[in-house]
Amino acid sequence: MEDMCGGTMSLMKCGIWSLGIFRPCTSSFCTRRSISLFPGSPTTTQWSKVVSDAEKIVGYPTSFMSLRCLLSDELSNIAMQVRKLVGTKHPLLNTARAFVYDSRNNLQMRGLVVLLISKAAGPSKAADDTLQHDMVSGIYASQRNLAEITELIHTAFLVHRGIVNITELKSCDGPLKDMQFGNKMAILSGDFLLANACTGLAQLQNTKVVELVSSAIGDLVQGIYYENSYLPEKNAFTDDIGITNWMEHIFLSHGALLAKGCQAAMELAKHDTEVQSMAFQYGKHMSLSYKLNSDLQPFLNGKHSGTSFGLNCAPVVLHQEFVGREAWMEEVKQAHLKGNLIDLAKLQEAIKAGKGVTAAIDLCRYHGNKALENLQCFPPSKARSALENIVYAVTRFP
Amino acid sequence: MMGWGWSWRLRCCGHHAASLAGIRGVHGGSGGGWAGAIGGRAAAAGKVHCSLLKPMFLRNSVSAHLCRPQSRLLHSSLVACCYSKTNSEAKYKDPFKLGSNDLKNLYEDIKKELFITTQELKEMCEYYFDGKGKALRPMLVVLMARACNIHHNNCRDMHPAQRSIAVIAEMIHTASLVHDDVIDGSNSRRGKKTVNQIWGERKAVLAGDYILSAASVALARVGNATVISVLSQVIEDLVRGEFLQLGSKENENERFAHYLEKTFKKTASLIANSCKAVSILACPDPKVHEIAYQYGKNIGIAFQLIDDVLDFTSCADQLGKPAAADLKLGLATGPVLFACQQFPELNALIMRRFSLAGDVERAWQYVRQSDGVHQTTYLAQRYCSEAIREISKLQPSPERDALIQLTETVLTRDK
Repeated sequence: MEDMCGGTMSLMKCGIWSLGIFRPCTSSFCTRRSISLFPGSPTTTQWSKVVSDAEKIVGYPTSFMSLRCLLSDELSNIAMQVRKLVGTKHPLLNTARAFVYDSRNNLQMRGLVVLLISKAAGPSKAADDTLQHDMVSGIYASQRNLAEITELIHTAFLVHRGIVNITELKSCDGPLKDMQFGNKMAILSGDFLLANACTGLAQLQNTKVVELVSSAIGDLVQGIYYENSYLPEKNAFTDDIGITNWMEHIFLSHGALLAKGCQAAMELAKHDTEVQSMAFQYGKHMSLSYKLNSDLQPFLNGKHSGTSFGLNCAPVVLHQEFVGREAWMEEVKQAHLKGNLIDLAKLQEAIKAGKGVTAAIDLCRYHGNKALENLQCFPPSKARSALENIVYAVTRFP
Repeated sequence: MMGWGWSWRLRCCGHHAASLAGIRGVHGGSGGGWAGAIGGRAAAAGKVHCSLLKPMFLRNSVSAHLCRPQSRLLHSSLVACCYSKTNSEAKYKDPFKLGSNDLKNLYEDIKKELFITTQELKEMCEYYFDGKGKALRPMLVVLMARACNIHHNNCRDMHPAQRSIAVIAEMIHTASLVHDDVIDGSNSRRGKKTVNQIWGERKAVLAGDYILSAASVALARVGNATVISVLSQVIEDLVRGEFLQLGSKENENERFAHYLEKTFKKTASLIANSCKAVSILACPDPKVHEIAYQYGKNIGIAFQLIDDVLDFTSCADQLGKPAAADLKLGLATGPVLFACQQFPELNALIMRRFSLAGDVERAWQYVRQSDGVHQTTYLAQRYCSEAIREISKLQPSPERDALIQLTETVLTRDK
């Protein structure tokens, strides 16, 4: 009875994502959902160059994800089943599509940064020679696994963010049964990715790293929880959260995983706590400045300006702080259309006229500089320059 | 006559690894054999497999006794003897009493692991840690910890790390409950509304994720890389078990193996591996780790088999959730699979996952008319005997005896 249940899943499956469900998005509903699972990044040609240069430094492109996961029986089955969702508005469909088709635009930044910082830090003096053999392109195998794990966790939450509340569904979303099914698939695939992250973490055989990264998962949950509570359908724009709280929440949802991932990478190479803390700080400030940059896009006169922005994005929160709560409520009131709709363009003009946008730019640069400062502990190298270039790319404004 | 049927079934379980390998082998390229999606290939694979097992299956009532010596339950009568002997020996104290001291502040300690700043998320995460659960897993864990400690160096004291495993096991279990309820769309559990029913699916999923991450942090703090690996395996098994539950096999024999594998992954793995974890913290002897694991695995499977029986025999009030819940979810558990041997009409219902109007009621009737409930209970008894056989290899101690006694509790519980 010993291995009664010890059958291992056969791993290789091919072409799972090319089953015809992930046709590039053509229908109009794609942009309708209020949460964008893949918020806009500074997608300038310059940004792509920064990234492709960085990928060369770490050895191979980071759009690897975990092939082991992607090719598993479980996700193959999910891919087949997700076909049933075509025609509904379940967010899982878009997450899956985006994952396949936009992988160039939504590059796996966390994994890349973990690899770059690993390389920039190099081997520590404390590390013995046996560890050295394990290095490829200046990065330990364990650090590459860690990079993969951070991506697994990130992706798991992209999927879990796209769960819908069954009682809040409208008839246009799709048949109830299909939406329930979509939830089921989303929970399972997210859980599957998380479970793989857990076993991957365990294999690193470093309890401190397990603790750090697990706590980052907790942070992520709390961050997403806050994020959800500001969804426009909740009329949350009336809540005055203040920029300090905003920063804390954004750190949880957008920074903790990368910060702790960077720190864990240092721990894996046996770097001391000081280096670990610098790596953490880089990850934290870089994420914040990245997020500020993407929040700013709709308010800049570039090609990404548009009228689609969240009411909890940095410029709005800062604007609210400047004008005061009452004036802000007045502005919201004036932008009210009939029904529960809001004229976002009008609101956008009001915000652009205020100081919120410049303040957000300043804040973005502030965190960018903080990130750069923390890189100074590493010796100059191509990897360090790449980390710097990432910061330059997100702190440059027209 | 019934007994022969058993010997086949149990032998089938014994050969589980082999038959599983067979299933995997044939299914290798087909995507896991989900019913419906790839029916053709699964059916073909089923036939191959069936032809291997069917002859045995057909003759099991007539000549199974010939095969019996090969059965891994050759010892069954022996075990039964020793079981009844231990049973009659002395009146044990209530096994739950022996461990209760160690579990006094269990839920407070769990709540201490949940560092949450938002009130609502905190409420959701703490919702099931209200002290009203059976806390079976923590109980098994603390008893196993002490039993192993006594076995190792005759010292009953429990290490704080072992106590943490009890906390972690309950947290992992609860996290999976929260997600299962969303997946199954359940409205009630333990006599109260489910997390998804109160707060909605979006938040419920996050709460489950949070509990899991907190368990993982607590696990890391135990500071033992092997223990981390052992319990991480559980998390993976839980998900894989849930995936298994989505699919069903067309072939009867495969279906049973599939059911047992699912049962192991969804229920027994957590118990087996947390028992193993405390044994690792108790002593370095791999033999002891194996005993702990085997005990946990067997009692875990028995526990779930009885759970599946209760779905047919208990009323909703006792269960704290609606009865026949499994059927309503389209799941064919032990009692149905056994009933299907007597009433092949059930096959069609199983294959369509009781989805047509009246299916659930008809299946329920078939099960009640059949020996399904008895047979499943009997199977659970065999798993319990196996658990007893394993744990009896440890040095005698009140905790070891309580673990033996607990198998009885598992079998006779009514909720």
